[in-house]
Amino acid sequence: MMIFTVISWILAVLVIAPAIYAVESKDLLSAAIAAGFADLAAAILFLVLQAPDVAITQAAIGAGITLAVFVYAIRRTERWEK
Amino acid sequence: MNYYYLGIVILLAIGTILALYRLLRGPTAADRMVALDAITNVTAGMIIFIALLSGRFIYVDVTLVFAILSFVGLIIVARYLEGGI
Repeated sequence: MMIFTVISWILAVLVIAPAIYAVESKDLLSAAIAAGFADLAAAILFLVLQAPDVAITQAAIGAGITLAVFVYAIRRTERWEK
Repeated sequence: MNYYYLGIVILLAIGTILALYRLLRGPTAADRMVALDAITNVTAGMIIFIALLSGRFIYVDVTLVFAILSFVGLIIVARYLEGGI
């Protein structure tokens, strides 16, 4: 179990860093890409925590559908936050 | 053999962190999208070694979803940067 503790700590860092960037960024497209990466790392974290079905759903919804919906929304509105 | 797989997982995690640096500091959005695609491919390999490490081979199915949906996201963002959609 020590092995999976180490992997979980690395994945926790990989979730936190792009999430902070997605909040602070002024470029909304870059923020959407960073949020997609945070979802991806969260999916791997679910996998390490022995929930592969939740990981499949998180990868499908988070990394695929959410990024597409965000890009269409940025296309309809504007890209740079004032 | 366990430590062999663990070493590979840690090396792939270091590769992910290096690509994360490019994702956070990249000047343009195209750099960030290419970094996200590289991270997805590296983590697909990392998931396979996590499956070998834990002995549960149902984890390999997750890599299929990762590979297909990262391609969809890459295509949509590339079409946006081109001005297509």
